[in-house]
Order: sequence, then structure tokens, then C-alpha cells
Amino acid sequence: MADVVELRGICKSYDHFVAVDNLSLGIRAGSVYGLLGPNGAGKTSTIRMMIGIMVPDKGEVRLFGELFQRGLLPRVGYLPEERGLYKRMKVLDHLVFLGCLHNLSEVEARKRSLAWCERMQLSEWKDKKVEELSKGMQQKIQFVAALLHDPDLVIMDEPFAGLDPANAVMLKDFLIELKKAGKTILFSTHRMDQVERLCDSICLIDHGHAVLEGDLGKIKASYGKNHVQMQYEGDPGLENCDLVQSINNYGNYVEVRLKPGADAQQLLRRSADRARISRFELLEPSLEEIFIDQVGKNA
Amino acid sequence: MHNIWTLIQREYLERVRTRSFVIFTLLMPAVMAGSVLIPEKIEEMNSGGEKHIVIVANNPQLATAVGQELSASKAKTDLGLEAGTFKPTMYTIRVDGDTSDAENDRLRQQVSGGQITGFLWLTDRALAERKVTYNTKEAADFMQSGTIRSALRTAVTKQRLSQKGMNGPEIDALLTPIDLATIRIEKGREGTSGTTVFVTALAMVMLLYSVVLIYGIAVMRSVIEEKSTRILEVLLSAVTPKQLLAGKILGVGAVGLTQIVIWVTFAILFSVPGLLAARSFLGEVHIPVGGMIAFAIFFLLGYLLYSSMYAAIGSMVNTDHEAQQMQWPAMVPLVLGVVLMNSVIQHPDSPLAFWLSIVPFFAPILMLVRILVAQPPLWQIALCIALMMATVYGLLALASRIYRIGILMYGKRPTLPELRRWLRYAG
Repeated sequence: MADVVELRGICKSYDHFVAVDNLSLGIRAGSVYGLLGPNGAGKTSTIRMMIGIMVPDKGEVRLFGELFQRGLLPRVGYLPEERGLYKRMKVLDHLVFLGCLHNLSEVEARKRSLAWCERMQLSEWKDKKVEELSKGMQQKIQFVAALLHDPDLVIMDEPFAGLDPANAVMLKDFLIELKKAGKTILFSTHRMDQVERLCDSICLIDHGHAVLEGDLGKIKASYGKNHVQMQYEGDPGLENCDLVQSINNYGNYVEVRLKPGADAQQLLRRSADRARISRFELLEPSLEEIFIDQVGKNA
Repeated sequence: MHNIWTLIQREYLERVRTRSFVIFTLLMPAVMAGSVLIPEKIEEMNSGGEKHIVIVANNPQLATAVGQELSASKAKTDLGLEAGTFKPTMYTIRVDGDTSDAENDRLRQQVSGGQITGFLWLTDRALAERKVTYNTKEAADFMQSGTIRSALRTAVTKQRLSQKGMNGPEIDALLTPIDLATIRIEKGREGTSGTTVFVTALAMVMLLYSVVLIYGIAVMRSVIEEKSTRILEVLLSAVTPKQLLAGKILGVGAVGLTQIVIWVTFAILFSVPGLLAARSFLGEVHIPVGGMIAFAIFFLLGYLLYSSMYAAIGSMVNTDHEAQQMQWPAMVPLVLGVVLMNSVIQHPDSPLAFWLSIVPFFAPILMLVRILVAQPPLWQIALCIALMMATVYGLLALASRIYRIGILMYGKRPTLPELRRWLRYAG
């Protein structure tokens, strides 16, 4: 089955600033995909090119296996980073308006809006003006607006930015629910913990390049289990050990990153000779470490 | 198409439903009607009643004659139009033969004290100097002084003519006034009177000017609102900037059109009875059908021209405050058109009027004025409309390019070189 989103060597520059440089990626149907990168890496530009707000200078964008065309947009739901609503419109009117823009009939848009209001506990607010609502409620309406037309592909730019904890949990539950319903989800963020828990695949962007792209599990596996957590009594003498790349010592608990090619078993034997080891665990690196490692390498 | 329709609908309904639209639409005719009706009512309330006028003269015969003329004139005013609506003024005339300064002082005190309305100082000396004075507290009542002036003139003229040996009927025949009516020739036929043409032209042009200005600015503010509320990007995931711009300009324009239709309906309902009553002095009143068609065409083209400029300006700025500093490119030509209107209305067929009126930025006002007050050749009108359509097309293309880039740019307002680059990207 063709990828839901496929970017092939897209480039975009403004004046002399290169925002996206020869970026390629593919998003599998039904997966949750994380677009990662520091601020200014080109995430928003990439997303804008996926939905035709901007046209790439070079390269091609394919959606649902076809070359990009606006006729495909009713199958896409988009939540921009800079999101807002008409302040003076009534909530229900606003939702119906946005639904109609996504090719729903007015009757259908109204029916779905009412159902969503019910579900989001917004029913008593549906005839109020948007400006009378709290910020949290406005955020709920923005999510609903992106999902009202039941899109196959949901694209969210920094969806967790600015959410209070309750709404952040709600959004996470939403994303999981959407995934269960077979939707494809792409979201951008610079918060690694969410990606680590939610995403199947990632693309790490820095300075407009894709630094890492693919299945999250495979990426982690390719880094190997080169991290050790160890609990001990005594002095294992790791400070000047030739197996150790870096070390973070807490006194009777230590986190160690092994040098490439170093054998963890050798480290265990050497430590056990000098101290009592109560716990020894071999771990994959966290995404944050991969991220810092990769971005640091390119800086 | 479906999208543009949705956008137009929202833009239209959200505006027409606001309380401010309803109030403004209803208040405007009320204010206009009030500005005509209230002074009329005041005049009507002040008219009638009694006026005590003392005529001080060496010649009691002349004084009596002036008094008779005044009483005869009753409420016949200089304008002669509202003859029916006014109660006649009753004059009580007293002829006074004492022309001393002491009498003058005494009468002044009576005027101040309110015992008499005023006194006419018609001594032989004043007549010889051709400078008669009427002393009153109500010096600003120009209708009153007009009535007295014409009574005085008639009486003096009659007296002098009778001194030359003419008899009463001869003098009356001689003094019958001759009316001058200015009639506009339309396609060889007699048209409306000059006054009506002028007033209608002025009203139509001011209506066009204010609606184009109000709704041009409304388009600009709406673009700024979409930028500042950050809803634009949500919309852009479903519609193109061009559709957005088209929907906005058409939707807001439809609101303006609605307002005009309501106002014109009000105006017709209010003025038809008046016009019918005033037919006697206005002459035959024609409904200017050609003028209305011209108004519709020039309103639509003028609105498209200016609103596309306002939309481009709105997309370049971030706040209303910034917009005020930036809106002169749209404001200046529109105001200049109104300023130039005065000379065009007086010489509608001069070469200057022709050249000014085919400039697309002035055309909505100046060509419309020319069509309303004169009969410019058809080729000039056709040329003007063609030029305007070309300009509107060009400006819309330009505005939509600026708009496309501008709406995604936050922060600093672009400089001219930056603007040129925007136009290149959008290409």
C-alpha cells in the first residue's frame, strides 16, 4: 500500500534562507508519525508544503499515492501551530462554517457539530460567541474543527504547545483513538517524551535536512543497547575505564554510556571485581539522547 | 465555487446580523430625514403669530404702502415653495411720523423690551442715502428680512412709478415677476430642472463615496482581524488565498449593496410625496433611470478597485493602528476625486473634465458626475468603463499576490523592496 504522505526531495527557501533542503520522507497508512526538530528547523514549512499552503521550489509532494492536488484536501485535517477562531462568531455557526469549507453540506456539518459539542461537553456553549469561551474551550473547538470532516490524514503542528495538562491528556487520548480508527496522524513537536510514547515512526529535521527518518524502534535498535544503569556498594572504579564514553555518577547509582564497540559484559566483570553490584541493566538510548547527539553532531 | 459561496455567506451574514449594521442602516435615513424635517418643523412653529412692526417715515403715505405690501405678502416667501405648510404671519403695522433720534432710542428700547418685533427706519434721509434699516432682535431670520425687503422695494418702486404718472394696474402689470427655469436637455428632449439635477448628482456621488470608503475599510479590517486572530492558516488548509480574497470582497460588497438598496428605498419613500407636491416649482420630475444604471456600474467597479487596494494594505500590516498609516494610497485618490468634483460639475464637458474622469481612480466619482449633470459621448463612457475594468483586473491580480504572501507574514511591515520580492515569490 502506498504511503499516505510521501515527500520526494522537496526544497524551499526564502530569500537567502533555506528552510527545507532536499527533504524526503514517507508516512505509512495508519501510523502515528512524529516530525521532530529544534525551533526553526523547517517543520512548519514542511507541513505547509504538504497541504498546499506553500508550493515547494523543488521536489514533489504526494498524498494518498497521488501527486498533490487541492481536490485531496477534504481528506486532510489540519491544526496549525498559529490557530485561532473568529472571535465574534457563535460556536456552532463557526463549526458549521469550517465544516462547509471542507466540503460538507450544511445539514451534515450541523449534525456533526452538534454531536461533537455533545461529546466535548460544549453543548451549553454552542450559541455563545467564541470570545466568551475560556482558552481551553477554544482549543477544544479548534481540535473539533480539524476533525469535523472525518479526515483520513490528520496533520497537527505543535498540537501540545500551550495546552493545559487536562487538555494535553485529552488530545493524547484523541490521537490514540484516531489511530485505533485507522487514521494516519502526523504531528510536529520538540518535546521528545510525547514522541517516544506515541509515535511509530519519526523524522528528525535539523536545518531543513532529515537527520534521521524511519521506524522509531529500528532507529533505537540501530543505536544499540549502549547504556548501562548500575546500582552498587563500594567503588567500581569506572572513572578512568577505557570502555566508558561518559558517566553520570550519583554515589551508589551510576549511568554509563559505553564507547562504540565496548562489551557490556566486560564492564560488569570488571565492576564486580571491585564492588558489590546489586543491579545491572542494559538500555536503549532515549530519543532525547539521540536527538541531542544528532543535532549536536550537525551544529 | 462551493467554497467561495460559503465564504461570501459567512462574511455577509456575520455583518448583516450585527446590531451596529442594523442601527447604522436605520439611523442614517433617520438622520438625513431629520436634517431636512426638523428645521422645517421649527420654521413652521415659528411662522404665523403676530408681528408688531413700527414704520418710521416722514412720508406717511409710503409707510402705509409698505405696511400694505407686508400684510399682502403674508407668508409668501422668497423661495415660494412651502406656501401651503406655513401659517400666515399677521402683521400689525403702526406708522410713526416722529423721526427724531429720541424716537429712535425709544423704539430700540421697545424692541429690547419685546413690546414690538422691530421697526423700519424709513426716513427721507435714509431713502436718499438708499440705506433703510430694519431693527429687530430676530436679525438672523432671513425669511423675515426677505419679506420686508421685497415689500419695501415694491412699495418704493410703485411710489416712484406713480410719481412718473402711471396708474395702479399699469404698475402691477409691470411688476409681475418673470421666472427663470433651467431645463436640462436630454437627447433633445426636455429633462429635469437644473436644481434637481445638481442635488441628485451630489447625493448619488456622496452615497457612492461614503459606501465605497466604509466598505473598503471594512475589507481591510476584516483581513487584519483574520491575521491577528490567527484563523487564516486554518482557512488556508481548505481554501486558496484567491478564493478567500474573492469571498471577502464579494461578501462585504454585498453588505454595502444591501445598505444602498435600503437607503435608496427609504429615500424614494420619503421624497416622492415631497417631489410630487413640489412639482410646481421643480418642473416635471423624471426618475433618472440612466443615472441609476450608471450609479450601479460605477459603484461596483469603484468598490472592486478600492476594496482590492484595501485588502492588499490589510494583508501587509498587523494592527489597525499600522493600517491607518498605510491606507493613504487608497484614501488619497478617493478624496481627491471628491475635491475635483466641484470643477467638473460646473464644466462637465471641458477637456480637463474629460481627462480627469477617465482616470480609473477618479472615474467612479467624476465620470458618474458627468453622466448625471451632462451627456458625455457614449465612447467616453465606454472608454472609461473599459479602463476601469482593466485596472480592476490588474489590481485584483496584484492585490491577491500581495495578499497571498502578506497573510502568512507576521511582524514587521514590508518595505518597498520587500514588497517587490513578495510579488516575485507569488508568481
